[in-house]
Amino acid sequence: MKRFILFSLVGIVALASCTKDSATPVTIISGTKTISVPFSSATAFTLFRFSDSTVVANTDSASNKWDFGLRFTTFIVNSYAGGPGSAGAILNNGTFDATPTAPTTGYAYDTTATQRAIKDGSWYDYNGATRTFAPKAGKVFLFKTADGVHYAKMELLSVDYAPFVGMYPTTLLYKFRYAYQANGTTTF
Amino acid sequence: MLQKISFIIFSFIICSNSLVAQMMNQDTLSGKLEDVFITATRSERKFSNLAVSAIVVNKKTIQQTGSLKLQDILQEQTGIVIVNSNLATSLAGYPNPFGQGVQMLGLDPAYTAILLDGEPLVGRNAGILKLGRIATGNIQQIEIVKGPSSSLYGSEAMAGVINIITAKPTAQNIDVQLHAATNNTFAQTVSYANRFIKTGVQFFINRYSTGGYDLDKNIYGKTVDPYRDWTMHAKITHDFSAKTQLLLSLRNVDSKQTNDYQITWQSQPAIVKGFTEEKDRSFFAQFRYNRSANSRIYFRTFFNNYSNKSFVNLENQDVRFDETSFNQTILKPEIQFEHSHNSTSKYVAGVGAYFETIDASRYAGKQRLATAYAFTQNEWNFYQDKLTLITGIRLDKRTDFDLNVSPRIAAAFKPNRFWKITASAGWGFKAPDFRHMYLSFYNAQIGYSLIGCNVLANELQNMQQQGALQAGANINPYLVSKTLMPEKSFGTHIGTKYSKGKINIEAGIFRNDINNLIDVYLLPFKKTNNSNIYSYQNINRIFTQGADVDVKYQLFKSIAISAGYQYLEAKDKDILSQIESGKMYKRDPITYQSSVVKKADYFGINNRSKHTINAKILWTNEAKGWNAFVRFVYRGKFGFTDVNGNNIADDQRELVHGFWMTNIAASKNINQKISLQVGVENLMDYTNAAQLPNISGRIFFVNLNFSFNHFNH
Repeated sequence: MKRFILFSLVGIVALASCTKDSATPVTIISGTKTISVPFSSATAFTLFRFSDSTVVANTDSASNKWDFGLRFTTFIVNSYAGGPGSAGAILNNGTFDATPTAPTTGYAYDTTATQRAIKDGSWYDYNGATRTFAPKAGKVFLFKTADGVHYAKMELLSVDYAPFVGMYPTTLLYKFRYAYQANGTTTF
Repeated sequence: MLQKISFIIFSFIICSNSLVAQMMNQDTLSGKLEDVFITATRSERKFSNLAVSAIVVNKKTIQQTGSLKLQDILQEQTGIVIVNSNLATSLAGYPNPFGQGVQMLGLDPAYTAILLDGEPLVGRNAGILKLGRIATGNIQQIEIVKGPSSSLYGSEAMAGVINIITAKPTAQNIDVQLHAATNNTFAQTVSYANRFIKTGVQFFINRYSTGGYDLDKNIYGKTVDPYRDWTMHAKITHDFSAKTQLLLSLRNVDSKQTNDYQITWQSQPAIVKGFTEEKDRSFFAQFRYNRSANSRIYFRTFFNNYSNKSFVNLENQDVRFDETSFNQTILKPEIQFEHSHNSTSKYVAGVGAYFETIDASRYAGKQRLATAYAFTQNEWNFYQDKLTLITGIRLDKRTDFDLNVSPRIAAAFKPNRFWKITASAGWGFKAPDFRHMYLSFYNAQIGYSLIGCNVLANELQNMQQQGALQAGANINPYLVSKTLMPEKSFGTHIGTKYSKGKINIEAGIFRNDINNLIDVYLLPFKKTNNSNIYSYQNINRIFTQGADVDVKYQLFKSIAISAGYQYLEAKDKDILSQIESGKMYKRDPITYQSSVVKKADYFGINNRSKHTINAKILWTNEAKGWNAFVRFVYRGKFGFTDVNGNNIADDQRELVHGFWMTNIAASKNINQKISLQVGVENLMDYTNAAQLPNISGRIFFVNLNFSFNHFNH
């Protein structure tokens, strides 16, 4: 009996996905990604692009090829002091799943080097006793991408140290899930 | 005959009633003779007449437990939980040696006033008064009042009052106790009392030393390092006439503890060693004048100095790694007036002042505070004592904040000799303490700064000038001078008591609402080394509510049993409203995805157990001089840490599991002068090194008591 129910469920899900697929082409690029970020406030930022879920070489920092960057616990977005693009960000309270749309206005930009779109310290708790970074629960990052016409949402899942020898870590591993709407609308 | 004579002497001279005689012959569990209770009204009352929720622990019960630690005795009382503090300011990197205190009605240790002979003890570290400073050997009675008592005792008495009443010079006696226990623990106690017609002397000296214990052999250093305490307490009473008496009390506690632990020094592990020395000296003088049989005045002066000096040096190097010093002094003159009108009304009033000085390495400069206060309380008895009504009010004015008013009203109704119903309501308050205002502390090992509210602006400006703050830190909002307000509470208690023959049942329900709770908050910028900066503000609104029940039953002539239970809910109202509006999130510890916290998931404020239980069996054989006392204490699960990114307890993994402690003691009077007691504490050897380091493993102990009464007759 159990098995029957399971089969039926699988069937229904499969059917549902088929219907959806045939109706509209997939324009949402989503997934979970882990990127390496330097554990240092002096080295180059790790840059990321949503449209093809890629880490962009830092030599391309003066281009529209990336949306946001990370170094230690500092976020930059590709605008003004951050870069030549038009990227902006909003840090919202809420859950990833319960954020079905992105607003078109209200984005913060890297106005100056000290006034970033995403304030350092606003999205994580540092536990001094265990020396760990924990991204706060219920924080959703909404991005306007560097081209200024696409939207993405992102939730930080974890920040861990890459295995290291010696006293200090060299690399932080940022794990996040995201969804990028390639068709230029604001729904994910 | 001798006993009778001494009985008569002290009945007449020392006490206005036979308080001590009653206590000496009284057995709590059977409750045949009645205790006299001072703390609830600031004047002597029969325990059964109290209109508030109270517990009395007498000398005999303390002796039957065999324990030399006050916290062991307290934690066996219904509604009292011994808890650890999470943020004590000890030496850098040091594993929190000060963290044990009393939680009453679900409130932190900082909210219970701890008095010794009615006078406050100073020297709280992170709000916690180290209970080990109080030796148990000369305690005559411990009085515990649950519920806001600020109407009589002012600040700190928000959750209640614990008043430790030490022995008074009564009859002639010498008592000697030798104690030996696991972990190289030894204690020697000598107490001497005598009366010379109009003068009574009482002298108490105790030395306690222990080798400490180590719960985790994989970590360098002991969980609790070795220490030794000396306690000396002398009391002299002199009766100038039948109407006037002078009481002088001198107390000195001297404690020394080894510090030995591992730190990180120049990016390498290193060992540091040193000592912590504590000195607690107090002087108390009281002049009592009985104007008439029903009217008296007390003139009191209390002085207490507490100092704590700690240091650690790097091992094998002459380098001071860290040192701290702390020195607090209080001078408290007071006048109290008591008047009773036949048996129909009793009136108590007083005025006094506190002068506090603190000078500590972690505080910005030497600080002074003065408080003036006045209190008044009237008690009416109607219908042959069947109905008692108490109204009281206290005014406190500290130099730095507005007049604080703490009223209380209480009533007791005794429809017949078996039943008593009580109801009380009162306002409590707690003034911000020195630490909230003046602390300036940086913990290099854990990496945070904690700065008092009053010095925050100044400290931030200094940090910014020195370039110690992150670039772009906007300190402007914090430069506006802010002062903390006193924390305020309103508490109510309704209770009932039934006692008939062999059975005695007490039950009650309580609720406390606290506003303006002072808590640490995180500043939105950091230091350049990425360490957090915290300060204090009035943020939280919390409530605690629950019920307790206590049953005592004389099963046989030789066996008395008792059991107590407390149910407690302690929640943060702001967190509750965030949860209710769907704005509190949690992170799944496996998928790491965020979701909304449901109301049912919120366990409550950390460190509060919903369920606490105690059960006791006392077996006595008076004829043969035997007694055995078995106690079980259960502390239910409580919130401890955060694993899902929201800093509230809402996941089973964030809770410490409930646990039982079993303590047994048995004693035998070998002859009239000598008794031997053996016992075991924590019989099941419960330990939890990570979460409850204050609980040592199983402890065996032996006490040898010599008692020489009326030695020179």
